Amino acid sequence: MQTFKIALTIVVALLLQMLLSDYVGFFQYIDLPLLVTVYFGLQRAPVLGMVTGMLAGLGGDAIAGGIVGVGGFSKTLIGYLVGTASVRLSLENPLARLAVVAVASAANTVLFVGLYQMLEQALPHMSTWAEFGATIGWKVLGDSVTSIALFVVLDRVFSEQATARRMAIRKRFYE
Amino acid sequence: MSANPAQRKAPWILAALLLFQVVLMSTNARHPDSEQSFLRVWLVTVFAPIVHAGNSVLSSVKGVASSYVDVRHAREENLELRERVDELTAERNKALERATQLDSIRTQLALPPHPPYRELAANVISRDATLWFRRLTIDRGTLDEVKRDMPVSAGGGIVGRIISVGPNFAMVQVITDKHAGVGAMLQNSRAMGEVRGIDNDRCELKNISTSENVEVGEAVVTTGLDRIYPKGLLIGTVERVEVDPNAPWHKIIIKPAAPVDRVEHLLVLLVEQKDLKLNEGIEVRNPPR
Repeated sequence: MQTFKIALTIVVALLLQMLLSDYVGFFQYIDLPLLVTVYFGLQRAPVLGMVTGMLAGLGGDAIAGGIVGVGGFSKTLIGYLVGTASVRLSLENPLARLAVVAVASAANTVLFVGLYQMLEQALPHMSTWAEFGATIGWKVLGDSVTSIALFVVLDRVFSEQATARRMAIRKRFYE
Repeated sequence: MSANPAQRKAPWILAALLLFQVVLMSTNARHPDSEQSFLRVWLVTVFAPIVHAGNSVLSSVKGVASSYVDVRHAREENLELRERVDELTAERNKALERATQLDSIRTQLALPPHPPYRELAANVISRDATLWFRRLTIDRGTLDEVKRDMPVSAGGGIVGRIISVGPNFAMVQVITDKHAGVGAMLQNSRAMGEVRGIDNDRCELKNISTSENVEVGEAVVTTGLDRIYPKGLLIGTVERVEVDPNAPWHKIIIKPAAPVDRVEHLLVLLVEQKDLKLNEGIEVRNPPR
């Protein structure tokens, strides 16, 4: 059941990414598959994080165009890193989660662009370093703000994980 | 600290997944038909009907909200459109007369006829899902005889070409995409170059020598030499010309004739590469309707 809910979350994220970009211009700066990856990575499960990252990333590559595998690679790595960090560090509170999203968003953009450069494929918004920096800034802003609402929704959908996370906070606090 | 077995295996699983995707992306990057990947066709075929339904709901909500504003300006717009219809009818009659004369001359000179092709109306169901690529997903696919590399037009100008197609969808690479290229020429001087997409909603006409006289507002049309777009389709008009005395080429910025950034309905030209011959024609005209 849990696996089905996770798969459904990825599918809904991909569908919304496809649908809403047409209506909300700023939505291009928001990466829902990445946010889903970070959310499951934060469940202190690196394997879940990386598998979610791979599926969401490959799905994102498929719906957006471009080379299939680039987004999958970057999100797999980010899912793993977020999962590993959440095992070692206390990333349960909302502010820490926001910081993780911001770092993951910037890292994802750098990885994505870097991989395209390695494959000798040009990307837009890369003419100057300033333009690249501005793109990263807008993406970090878009992803961070969206994650606040999205994580609240996902906490309700995956209430067992949210409860376990709250327990972990208490445990760390009292021990 | 003791890690559980899944966590201990995690680096190995990570390495395997990353390796798999390195192979996947390397294969795709080297393949000329990389946009037509199995995963893309499979996934978007499943997603397309759902996105289409969602689009219908959102469009109707948006339509209700904007209908009041539209009604307020309907009277003025109606008058403007009537005048425009009169102008276009006169232009069309002239064009038909010229086309008839031209067909007659072509027959006399024994030139090959223009390739016949049909147009298929399609709706845009998704647009620019990410920042990096300018792509439209339309609700027509192989079931409607749509194939890869077919050109797409709207509002009197070309929009782009089909780069990926499934049974019920097709993905269009818009001409303003950085990876897009169209064989183009200036309509008056017939100087040939290549139109490439740039980061904003504009294109650049490259490889036009500074010795050529280029005027702002001049039409840019397809050459047909790229074997994708039939000859003579309107791409756009020259918006500005940046002159660098030391450069051998003009920097010409083109404003696309089609509203590529907000197009909702478009036409797929059902023409294939094999139908486009290099000596397709000599005159420039709009495709038959």
